[in-house]
Amino acid sequence: MALAAPILVEARRFPVGLLLVAAPMLLLVVFVLVPAASAIVSTLTDPRSGGPSLANYRTLLGDPLSRGNLFFTLGSTLAVCGLLLAVCLPVALYLRFSSGRLPAFVQSVAVFPLFVPGIIVAYALIRFLGPNGSLQTVLDAIGIHGFRSPYLTPAGTVIGLVWEGIPLTLLILLSGLAQIPNAAIEAARDVGAGRLAILTGIILPLIANSVTVAFSLAFLGAFGAFTIPYLMGPASPEMMGVFMQRTFSELRDPAQAQTQAVMSFLFCAAVGVIYVRSVIRSRRRGS
Amino acid sequence: MSKLVIDRLSKRFSGTVAVADVSVAVGDGELLCLLGPSGCGKSTVLRMVAGFENPSEGRVLIDGEDVVALPPERRPTGMVFQSHALWSHMTVAQNIAFGLRLRGLARAEVKARVGSVLELVGLAGYEARYPAQLSGGQQQRVAIARCVVLEPKILLMDEPFSALDAHLRVRLREEVRAIQQRLGLTTMFVTHDQDEALTLADRIVVMRSGAVEQVGTPGEIYAAPATRFVASFIGTMNLIETEASGGSAGLAGARVGGDLPDGPLTIAVRPEDIALGEPGWTGRIERVLDLGAFRMLDVALDGGPTVKVQAAKGVPLRAGETVPLRPLGLVAYGGDGRARRASIEFGNLTNVVSIHG
Ligand SMILES: Nc1ncnc2c1ncn2[C@@H]1O[C@H](COP(=O)(O)OP(=O)(O)O)[C@@H](O)[C@H]1O
Ligand SMILES: [Mg+2]
Repeated sequence: MALAAPILVEARRFPVGLLLVAAPMLLLVVFVLVPAASAIVSTLTDPRSGGPSLANYRTLLGDPLSRGNLFFTLGSTLAVCGLLLAVCLPVALYLRFSSGRLPAFVQSVAVFPLFVPGIIVAYALIRFLGPNGSLQTVLDAIGIHGFRSPYLTPAGTVIGLVWEGIPLTLLILLSGLAQIPNAAIEAARDVGAGRLAILTGIILPLIANSVTVAFSLAFLGAFGAFTIPYLMGPASPEMMGVFMQRTFSELRDPAQAQTQAVMSFLFCAAVGVIYVRSVIRSRRRGS
Repeated sequence: MSKLVIDRLSKRFSGTVAVADVSVAVGDGELLCLLGPSGCGKSTVLRMVAGFENPSEGRVLIDGEDVVALPPERRPTGMVFQSHALWSHMTVAQNIAFGLRLRGLARAEVKARVGSVLELVGLAGYEARYPAQLSGGQQQRVAIARCVVLEPKILLMDEPFSALDAHLRVRLREEVRAIQQRLGLTTMFVTHDQDEALTLADRIVVMRSGAVEQVGTPGEIYAAPATRFVASFIGTMNLIETEASGGSAGLAGARVGGDLPDGPLTIAVRPEDIALGEPGWTGRIERVLDLGAFRMLDVALDGGPTVKVQAAKGVPLRAGETVPLRPLGLVAYGGDGRARRASIEFGNLTNVVSIHG
């Protein structure tokens, strides 16, 4: 009897665990995987014959406008990722290696956009950066004229997406930096490393994984963005999110919209692979 | 000339005094242990020598040169941390080579030095391993190699073995001593483990609440603890509280005399300094603990406290027996905690001992 008890507990626990996982899995299958699979299948199907065909993709890649939008999206997204890392890495380093009230304040300011919905970010930036916005007013007041607003230009989209992406990127980099023990840095100083050697030889390699994760998530967020590019970006070229929406509801071409979606998904999936590999690598090193 | 001189060093952290007016000189090739309970300021002293903390007051001289203004990367010191602090993204060889490469050594030279230092710490062939693939003891050996390969003038070790199990700790202790002797490294070693200090050190600095209590060889500190704190901290010691008046104090029927101030008095006697079977006190054996190499007895003195007495293995002794016993050496501590010259008399029996004052 005494021996049987733990086994019973195990046996009873097993289906409970399975049930707990089953509900979200079911939702995922019914509402995400099945529609996604059917969409992918339908983009590979000839609308007239019903047989397999790459016609939809030929149309997409053959159309200069669509192709342009795809490359524009890719370029803007990479610019956003690059700027995010360029802005957040120094801030994260500062926050990690200093103490006191100022860093705490800087951190709360930096994380603030996390609590602001994208649409409000967009309007705030428009009020700030737009024609006759606060920035231009200030510049005019101090005698700097000729300010060209980034509103409705590619730069507008990039600025908006960077602002929106700062908190997440910063938090990921900070969590990576937090895992570097102080003693590891002190040991480097002890053997004679200056600031630059510590940064390039110790810190950056140790947070390479966090940088990859931050990059991947920033890429996924920016590539599929809608609100910011819709409100702040140019009418043409368009980011894929805006383009898809317009193709679907204004041009009423669901087949092309779906094909655009699958193309976007492929780019994001490629980055997703990088992300997953990075996570696996950090799990394996276990440190 | 002393290799390392710590001169009136103090450190305050926003109000709290971590180190108060510590002065120590370490000779060339000497291994000095800083010993004291957790929080007494040992690490802070070491970190001020390494340059990780700025002293509030005082100087640190290496080869006669004040290094207080130098940052850690420019000091000729090498530190081994409690947590090995290896760089997890580098192999063993890369960890050791990092400092050599910063000094601009040629590739072949680096490789040769890494090879020979790994030989020294008994890890030849481990070049390509990552720290996570090593045991705790091996990681700490790599950390030592990483320091030693740079030939520091002063080797600093901050409780390097406290995260390891007891057996390994003893082995690494011996290895470190051997390496230190072989290379003639001037070493400052921090520990809270008195056994470690007693077996490893040429000299010990006992610290308490940021200040130095006593400096001496292990033998001196063990035989003649300068303060009550040192007596209680090092080794096993019977500490018997009594009261002195008119220059003497009673102790289980005996009289302790000497240079004693009136007021509370602590008599300290080591268990191995009490001779069984010698006339003096009388006591009842309450407990016999066989510790293999010897036996430890609890003996309740007639009209006095219970004391621990160390007895050889062969002597037949049982709990409940009454035995005569006499202290062969003792130290008395006055209310200020300082050691006093003292001796003990048993009625008309001739007396013993006087220790140190
Ligand atoms: N960076 C610091 N900030 C504030 N207090 C500290 C700091 N480092 C050490 N202390 C304090 O100084 C005292 C001595 O610490 P430490 O030198 O680490 O002791 P030990 O190494 O002997 O255990 C402790 O009370 C500790 O809390
Ligand atoms: Mg310490």
